[in-house]
Amino acid sequence: MTLALWPEYAVVLGVLATMLAGMVSRERTIWGYWTTLAALAASGVFTIILWASGSLPRSLLHGGLSIDAFSMAVNGLVLVAAAGALLIGWNDRRYGGDFPILVLLALLGMMVLGMANNFIALFIGIEMLSLPLYILAASGGEGLSTEAGLKYLLLGAFSSGTLLFGLALLYGAAGTMVITAVVSPHLILPLAGAGLALTLVGLIFKLGIVPFHMWIPDVYEGSPLPVTTYMAFGTKVGAAAILMRFLFFGFSLASGWWGPAIGYLAVLTMIAGNLIALAQKDMKRLLAYSGIANAGYLLVGIAAHNMLGAQALLFYLLPYGLSILAAFAVLAFVAGDEESVSLDQLTGLYQRSPGLAAGMAVAFLSLAGIPLTGGFVGKFYLLQAAWAAHEPGLAVGLVVAAMIGLAAYIRPLQRSFSAVDGTPAPIRWPLAGAIVLVISVIGTIGLGVYPAPVVHIVNHSAAFYWLH
Amino acid sequence: MTAFIILAIVALVGGIGVVVAPEPVHSALFLIVSIISLALFYILLSAEFLAAAQVIIYAGAIMVLFLFVVTLLTAGKEDREPPESLVGQRVTAGILALLAGGGLAVLGVVYPSRRIPLGLPAQFGNLRGMGNVLWGPDFLYLAAVAMMLLTGAVGVLVVNRPHRLAEANPRVEEQK
Repeated sequence: MTLALWPEYAVVLGVLATMLAGMVSRERTIWGYWTTLAALAASGVFTIILWASGSLPRSLLHGGLSIDAFSMAVNGLVLVAAAGALLIGWNDRRYGGDFPILVLLALLGMMVLGMANNFIALFIGIEMLSLPLYILAASGGEGLSTEAGLKYLLLGAFSSGTLLFGLALLYGAAGTMVITAVVSPHLILPLAGAGLALTLVGLIFKLGIVPFHMWIPDVYEGSPLPVTTYMAFGTKVGAAAILMRFLFFGFSLASGWWGPAIGYLAVLTMIAGNLIALAQKDMKRLLAYSGIANAGYLLVGIAAHNMLGAQALLFYLLPYGLSILAAFAVLAFVAGDEESVSLDQLTGLYQRSPGLAAGMAVAFLSLAGIPLTGGFVGKFYLLQAAWAAHEPGLAVGLVVAAMIGLAAYIRPLQRSFSAVDGTPAPIRWPLAGAIVLVISVIGTIGLGVYPAPVVHIVNHSAAFYWLH
Repeated sequence: MTAFIILAIVALVGGIGVVVAPEPVHSALFLIVSIISLALFYILLSAEFLAAAQVIIYAGAIMVLFLFVVTLLTAGKEDREPPESLVGQRVTAGILALLAGGGLAVLGVVYPSRRIPLGLPAQFGNLRGMGNVLWGPDFLYLAAVAMMLLTGAVGVLVVNRPHRLAEANPRVEEQK
C-alpha cells in the first residue's frame, strides 16, 4: 500500500495490539497503555514523514479521501489530544484496559474526518468518532456516567439521523458524493438548501453550537475526567475540520447560503456559552460551557470565509487544546479518586500546591485570552480574519464574549489563590499527568510568546487547502 | 408513481406506529411493516439483492433480537411507559415535527426538481454488483465499518463490566 494512509494503519495496528495485550495479561493493563502510546508515536512519526515526503496532496478512493497538508495538521492535533487524554488517565484502574482501545478507535474517526472528501467518508468518520465516545462516557459506572452515556447516545443518534437525511438530499440535488465535485451554482435550490441545512445541523451538533449544545454539560459532567478531556479537545478538532472542508470545498461559491447563519450562530454561541459559564459551580460544567464558547470562536473562522479565517481556525485549535489539557490535568490531580471538582474544592489550592495553581492560572488565562498566552494570539488571528472579511459584528461579538469569558475564568482562579486556615492536604502528582501539565503549560506560553513556527505550519496547511 | 405513493403511505403508517404504539412489541411489529415497505422500494429501484438482504437481516435477524430483548427485559414487569414528566412535550414535539416535515414536503411540491441522469453502473443491484462495490477498490469503507463493529464489541464488554472493577479503586501508578 501507499504511504499515504500509514498514520491510520498505525492506529489500527495499535488497536489490535492493545486488545491482544489485554488478553495476554489480564491484571496488568499497563501493557495496553504502552502499546497505545507506541501506536500514537508511530502514527505521529508517519504523519511527519508523510508531511516531509513531498508526495502530498493525494486523493484516494475516487476522491473520497483527500490527504493533504490540512489533513496532516488535523492528524497532529488529534494525536496530541489522544496522547494527552491517555496520559491523564494513565493506568487508572477505574477506567480499565478498554480505555486505551476506545481512545484509539475514536482517534481513527477524527483522522478520517480530517481527510474525508465525500459524504460516505464524512458519515463514517462522524460515526467512528462518536461510537467509542458514547461507550467511554458510560464507562464510569453507575449513576451520572451511565446517564451521560445514554444521553449522548440518544441525542447523538438523533443528530446522525439528521445528518444522514441532509446528506441524502444533497446527493439527490448534486448527483455526486464527492464534496469537491459539488458545483453549488448548479444545485437544485430547495432540495440542496434543505439538505445543506440538515447536514449543518448534524455537524454543528457534534461541535456543540448553541441551539444544539444541551447535551454537552451533562455529558462532560458525567464522563470520567480523561474522557471529558478527550471530548473537549479531539471532538472539536474533528468536527471543526470536517465542517470547514465541507463548507469551504463544497459550498465555497454559495457562501450566501450558509455564511450569515454561521455568523449569527457564532456570535450567539460565544456570548451564551460564556454567560452560562459564569454561573457554574462544578469545574467540569464550567469547562463544558467554556468548550461551547470556544466552539463559537472556531465558527468565527468559518463564518469569515477567507484564507485568514481558515488559518486562524487551525491555529486556534492548538492553544485551545493545550489550555484544555492543562486545565483538566490540574483537575485530575485535585480530584484524585473522585470524579469531579467543585469550585469550593479549589479554595486554597495555592497553599496545597503552588505548581498546580500556577498551571491552572496559565490555562485559564489562555482560555480567557490574556496576552503572552496562546489563547490571546489565537483570538487575535480570529479577530483579524473577521475584520478582513468586513464582518464588524463578528469582531465585536468576539471581543464582548472574551470579556464575559474573562469574568467566568477569573472565579476559579480567585478561589484557588485565596487562603484557608489550617494545614492544607498536599496533592500527589502522578508522573504521566505531570508530563501533560508541564508540556501543555510550556506550549501555551510558548505559543503566546513565539507563535511563528506553528503559524508557518498552519499557513502552509490552510494555503494548500485553499488552492484546491 | 402509484406504487410509490401506496408504499410511501404504508411506510409512513409503519413509522408513525413505531412511535405511537404503547406496547414495545407492537412498536416492533410496526417496524416490520416499515422495513418491508422499504424492501419493496428497493425492488422498485431494481436493487433486488438489497431488498432481499433488507428482509432477511432486518425483518429476520434484528427484529427477532428486538423481540427477545423486549420479552426478556419486560418479563413479569409493567412494560408500559411511565406517564410523561414534562407535560405537553409530545404534543409540542409532534407539532414541530409536522411543521418541519410539512415544510420539506411543501418545498418539494412547490419547486419540483429536474432529474439528474446519473446512469446505473453495470450489474446494479444484484449480488455481483454489491460485491464489487463493497469488496472492490473501495474496500476501505467496509474496513472502516468493521472497525466500528469492533468498537461495538468492546463497548459491550465495557458497559457490562463486573461491579468490582467499576468500583473506584485507588490509582495504580506504574512507578510502583
